[in-house]
Amino acid sequence: MILAGGRGERLYPLTRDRAKPAVPFGAIYRIIDFTLSNCLNSDIRRIYTLTQFKSISLHRHIQLGWNILSAPLGEFIEVIPAQQRIDEQWYRGTADAIFQNIYTLQQERPDLVLILSGDHIYKMDYRKMIGLHLEKGADLTVAAIRMDRKLSREFGVMEVDRDRRIIGFQEKPEEPKTIPEDPEGILVSMGVYAFNTEILVRRLIEDARSDSSHDFGRDVIPAMIEKDRVFAFDFRQADRGGTGYWRDVGTIDAYFEANMDLISVTPQLNLYDSQWPILTYQSPYPPAKTILAEEGRVGTAVSSMISNGCIISGGSVKRSILSPRVTIHSYVEVEDSILMEGVDVGRYVKIRRTIIDKDVHIPQGMEIGYNLDEDVKRFTVTASGIVVVPKGIRL
Amino acid sequence: MKKKILVVEDEEGLRLLYEEELEAEGYEVLTAQNGKEAIQKLEEGKPDLIILDIVMPVMDGMEALGRIVGKERRIPIILNTSYPGYRQDFMSWAADAYVTKSTDLGELKNKIRELLEKGKAK
Repeated sequence: MILAGGRGERLYPLTRDRAKPAVPFGAIYRIIDFTLSNCLNSDIRRIYTLTQFKSISLHRHIQLGWNILSAPLGEFIEVIPAQQRIDEQWYRGTADAIFQNIYTLQQERPDLVLILSGDHIYKMDYRKMIGLHLEKGADLTVAAIRMDRKLSREFGVMEVDRDRRIIGFQEKPEEPKTIPEDPEGILVSMGVYAFNTEILVRRLIEDARSDSSHDFGRDVIPAMIEKDRVFAFDFRQADRGGTGYWRDVGTIDAYFEANMDLISVTPQLNLYDSQWPILTYQSPYPPAKTILAEEGRVGTAVSSMISNGCIISGGSVKRSILSPRVTIHSYVEVEDSILMEGVDVGRYVKIRRTIIDKDVHIPQGMEIGYNLDEDVKRFTVTASGIVVVPKGIRL
Repeated sequence: MKKKILVVEDEEGLRLLYEEELEAEGYEVLTAQNGKEAIQKLEEGKPDLIILDIVMPVMDGMEALGRIVGKERRIPIILNTSYPGYRQDFMSWAADAYVTKSTDLGELKNKIRELLEKGKAK
């Protein structure tokens, strides 16, 4: 069950029209593609995706791109919007989202339920985690990533014994409990849980009937530590890339950096592993092309990702990520930027350190990213100086 | 003050039986004929405990149970049914007790007492 209702408020305005899992990433993907690809590559083919607000974009993407499983074989990727069958409100927390879908779980009655977040980017073989879960006879296994103890104030930290049984949970602690044999390291929850179904249902019901924020990390798991067998699973044992890559991309700055990693010579996130394909939906556009090579008017792209349907006509693109159907006109300079699908950049435009959301036309001669005092009057500008031009804006 | 019990039962004869027997035990009794009515009565009557049949027209007990738990987390609920098979349903685990219907109301009365005492202790 994939929790795909994240608002992603700190990603605004990229999340103005879409939930966080539907935010484009890496030129042709949506954030949820990574979790869905992990499932398929791990041979998990019965998948419910739970959505709530601003879900149209996500629904459309899954319908177009992920309609690839075989229903006669019992496989499915089903999108479930909030049903309001139990409670006439939005989901109150991650645990509430699963509880509200208890009738769905009832129909399937699996032995184990894997609960995932549609918000994160990583490559993980969930089978390895399930293997440990079964081996330990666990009730719940939580995937954990090692981080430096200095980062403890940003995360939920798990205290474990030498057998990796979780014996404590700290929410954003100043003084974190470190890993027994690694005093500089802490184990941080990735929001990836393997549950025995019966225990899951019982603990969700207990949580639903108590005063809590109905969140797995804050409420359900801390309450389980005493009475149930709860283990941590070290992500490195199932990390497909071998680089410990896991990103929440919760802020515009983190989002920008994670995208820019992809155009480095050896990215931490390898998209080229043919044994671990990342699937998505792509319209059948023609190949990218660069045109014009006159004096001072050369269509070029260097250190960049250029998608199908792009035309770079007499302008230059450096260290940038272009989604499908982006048009760059003559005498343009684009540097260190992310241009989403359908962006059209007029002649003589100069853009740097800017994210331009879908279908925006940048009129001739405009400069963005060169004078932040001006940019901030019209656009979102982050602390580190990234400018975001929202979808649909008319300039 | 008398404790208030909401009996949700579609069969009229049984409804009357529960009403009489529970009033004789010193409880105030509200009744509803189905889940939908139960949810209305829940808001109007503020019961201290709910006895919920499962197989009912309009809205069955399992559906009502989910909605009641979504609205009023604290009220103890006893599922009271002729069909023990519903114990397999995940939502039935949200009830505080599961009693199989019988002509002898002893077990039901014991459960009521137990749950109301537990509520007092909290």
